[in-house]
Amino acid sequence: MDPDTIVACATPPGVGALAVVRLSGPSAIATIGALVRSDVHQWPSRTARLCSLRRPEPSTEVLDRGLVSLFRAPASYTGEDMVEVSTHGGRYVPESVVETCVALGARRARPGEFTQRAYLNGKLDLTQAEAVGDLTATASAQGRNVALHQLERGLGERVASLRSRLIGLAALLVQHIDFPEEDEAPVSLGAVAEEARRAARDVGRLLATAPAGELLREGALTVLAGPPNAGKSSLFNALLGVERAIVTPAAGTTRDAIEAAASIDGFPFRLVDTAGLRAGTEGVEQLGIEVAHRYLKGADVVIVCRETVAGEFAGSSATPDPALAPTLAEADGAAKVFLRTKWDLARDDQAPAPGEIPVSVRTGQGLAEVKRALADLVFQDVVERRDEVPVVTTRRQTELLKNAQDELSSFAQALERGVPPEAASAHIRSAESALEDVLGVVASDEVLDRVFKDFCIGK
Amino acid sequence: MRLRYDVIVVGGGHAGVEAAAASARLGARTVLVTADLGRIAQMSCNPAIGGVAKGTVAREVGALGGIMARATDAARIQFRMLNRSKGPAVWGPRAQCDRALYSMAARRALDELAYLDLFQEMVTGVQFDGRVQGVATRGGVVFEGDAVVVTAGTFLRGRIHMGGASAAGAGRAGEGPSLELAEALEARGLEVARFKTGTPPRVDGRTVDLDRCQRQDGDADGGAFRFCCYAREPLLEQRPCWVAWTGPALKEIVTRNLERSALYGGEISGRGPRYCPSIEDKVVRFPTAPRHQVFLEPEGLDTTELYVNGLSTSLPPDVQLAFLRSIPGMEDAKITRPGYAVEYDYFPPHQLRHTLEVRSVPGLYFAGQINGTTGYEEAAAQGLAAGANAALAVQGRKPFIVERDQGYVGVLVDDLVTKGVDEPYRLFTSRAEFRLLLRQDNGARRLGTPAREIGLLTNRQARALNERLAEERRSVFWFRETTIAPEAANPVLEAVGSSPISEPVRARKLLRRPGVRARALTEAVPEGAPSFDPDVLATVEVDAKYEGYVERETERAAKLRRQARFGIPEDAPFADFTTLSWEARQKLARVRPSNLAQAGRIPGVSPADLQNLVMEVRRLGQARAPTDQA
Repeated sequence: MDPDTIVACATPPGVGALAVVRLSGPSAIATIGALVRSDVHQWPSRTARLCSLRRPEPSTEVLDRGLVSLFRAPASYTGEDMVEVSTHGGRYVPESVVETCVALGARRARPGEFTQRAYLNGKLDLTQAEAVGDLTATASAQGRNVALHQLERGLGERVASLRSRLIGLAALLVQHIDFPEEDEAPVSLGAVAEEARRAARDVGRLLATAPAGELLREGALTVLAGPPNAGKSSLFNALLGVERAIVTPAAGTTRDAIEAAASIDGFPFRLVDTAGLRAGTEGVEQLGIEVAHRYLKGADVVIVCRETVAGEFAGSSATPDPALAPTLAEADGAAKVFLRTKWDLARDDQAPAPGEIPVSVRTGQGLAEVKRALADLVFQDVVERRDEVPVVTTRRQTELLKNAQDELSSFAQALERGVPPEAASAHIRSAESALEDVLGVVASDEVLDRVFKDFCIGK
Repeated sequence: MRLRYDVIVVGGGHAGVEAAAASARLGARTVLVTADLGRIAQMSCNPAIGGVAKGTVAREVGALGGIMARATDAARIQFRMLNRSKGPAVWGPRAQCDRALYSMAARRALDELAYLDLFQEMVTGVQFDGRVQGVATRGGVVFEGDAVVVTAGTFLRGRIHMGGASAAGAGRAGEGPSLELAEALEARGLEVARFKTGTPPRVDGRTVDLDRCQRQDGDADGGAFRFCCYAREPLLEQRPCWVAWTGPALKEIVTRNLERSALYGGEISGRGPRYCPSIEDKVVRFPTAPRHQVFLEPEGLDTTELYVNGLSTSLPPDVQLAFLRSIPGMEDAKITRPGYAVEYDYFPPHQLRHTLEVRSVPGLYFAGQINGTTGYEEAAAQGLAAGANAALAVQGRKPFIVERDQGYVGVLVDDLVTKGVDEPYRLFTSRAEFRLLLRQDNGARRLGTPAREIGLLTNRQARALNERLAEERRSVFWFRETTIAPEAANPVLEAVGSSPISEPVRARKLLRRPGVRARALTEAVPEGAPSFDPDVLATVEVDAKYEGYVERETERAAKLRRQARFGIPEDAPFADFTTLSWEARQKLARVRPSNLAQAGRIPGVSPADLQNLVMEVRRLGQARAPTDQA
């Protein structure tokens, strides 16, 4: 029904080695063509191809290598042109593919929208219909932690009050247009534009909380980094409370990155165990190291691990390990926690370097301290300010608010350019409907209510 | 006596007149039955047609071949284009009219229609047998027919209040109510509710010191007086309106007598329109307002009476006189007709289809105030829609539905049917989501062609439409193809503070600049330009100046039309659609939308509900498919 092209990650975020990104709509095939830099229109349907997925020109950055399959209308799930891309799993890679598609003009799909299109195009049967109903129900009953819920309610209140201000603006314009003979002072369009700018700024203030909100919703991407055999996988298992990574005494055991969700001091984290970083490797291990580097670039926190060598004079080397400097520079936006692992091996006269937390997975020493350090580093700010600034927690909210902000700015600019208010007010209406989408409210026409409340209308 | 017709129209107000005329123009044998043929198309409230949004719908009625535009032109004694200082998309034509001339002009237009008969009698009952069979009158006349359009105005159990205990059964001042008809309709199981509305007093203009009021003349530009593209009525003598202001004394008098107001004394239960508040309401709800505007409008050429617009009231006559005389310039005013409030029955319009046929009674149509609207223009638009659809149904032809992106007629009908009313409904531009498309200048283009196609226009109207559309095409071509030299263009540009040009530039490009008017450009060309109609120039101007915004609306309209293609079965069991929220199920069951776009406009139905609705309807279709084959 909607002629636009939608995109979404079809697999649950963060879980699993692979993820599937789906596109549906008239530009689905052209969009993927821009990512793989190839004349995809020549490709046959229903055949998977291994491709490098890149950011749009002129960038040459490779996001991932993945399998791309085309499904041409009407022989597809939705009945429209569709593309499925299998990428590596985790949060970072599939999201960056979706993001790139959005930058190329696709729209993030609403929950259940692929299925909706399938229905509209007559592609689904009764049993599938019921499955979709279940899915929708699950999505709405999704468990969330209480703090997050509170934050969202705060957001709702803030957005509702913004919406109310927009309705006030719209009412001013209605009064101006529909009641030209009333005995009220004429509306100052300059003042209206100024109020729209103020509202845009306030939307901007909410948007500024989006990074913090995303951390809360998705978990802070926390990468364990360090040289091979620094005990990263043991620590990973200890923080997770589950034996997830394979641990051996041999350096270079971990080849691929392993990602897992962990709750640390009640806050959400996505822990990533990576291949130990060392030069001169090849084959699978080298590929693993490349993956590790990619994770480091997107990390929110890096746990820098350095193993204890019995008898080594601890004060002798500065922190961090100079060998890791280039690696840490890659993750310059991330917070860092420095650990001295395997501290149970230390002799009594040894001390950790300044700023390092000594940890032993074997004795449990230092683990509580590491957890507290992680929670404080990432979430302290959010927690302290949660009463004054509600937090935008989802990409959908972020995009809707961004949209509202843009529309409000366009409105103010249009008025200043001399566009008549009856035309420019279309921007107010769009901004209002974006806010309504954030709230999930069903709008009734409150503008006229406001006009009659605020102005003595009627001759 | 028994008489047989195709379509029977009950009521001779603005809705009834348009219903009867539309039905007759479509070739259905039609009778209009009304209690008083002397009051055909009576302007029972203010003596003016049009305004912002209302003027646009009045022109739409004209474009559909209706009576209102033509009668207004014949009776206009002042014409103003409201909002002229704003963009042409929100201009609103309005004419003050001579009441008597308006009524005569409407009667004259009805008399020209070969398929229409008029009959004076009070209708007391509607006859049913599964569907509508006809109507019966007080005097025992029975009209048989397959379709009945009821346009009873404020007469259904109407009660007039003039303060205190003086309530009396009446439909309008001096005319009795219709009790039997109300009962007959209610007996069909229709939901009934009650509204109220009011009128202000009228005064003898000779007793007002007009020198102390502010004079308000119509537009000097005679070209703007043509109200409708099909009518060319001669111009009568023009009259001004006058503006006066109430002061603290009026506020004091009203406040002191509030308990004598029928409204505030508790005699009135129905809800009134917020945009047309009584003076009691204004004083109570806006206690800090120092003054209120009062418009003194001429009632006609042959009378000295003035209509005191702005002072609608249900206070008793002695209080009315006292507050009138507190107004500077009206110290010696004499009342000729006191103001009053009227309460009446209406049938909540969610019970109707988009054809204005009552869902539960095939063949029965409602139009006008009986549907909970106010205003002559709103009534006329519904009358036209109901009359046309009644005739089309009798002829076995498909309905004529104006869409929301096609006209205010469509917005009005869809709002009534989909959203219902909780106060007397009036049109505003803000009710139209496609305001830039629905303008007073382009009604012919939007509605003329579809009207011609179904035969709703007379031959003369169809010819006038063709001429008008041809002129639009010529003007578009002229602005697109004509280049204007700097020496001709620069004076025009300088006059509005726009930067001069140094090379010839196309007229349409210059027109995009703020402040540059189409007329000024046609006049600036030395070789001369064709003399285009002002409406045609407005059309060209809007298309140039709102570029981008018009496209944005057009795209949204297209999206809505795509949604509207997803049909919902007439008998869909909304209550069983358990994947939808409880609220949505209730609302859907009440409104019974015919497609997805309409469902989406129902307050209380969320996007998630819509998605599940699609699923449920598909499922329903699959479940029923085998039965259909069997």
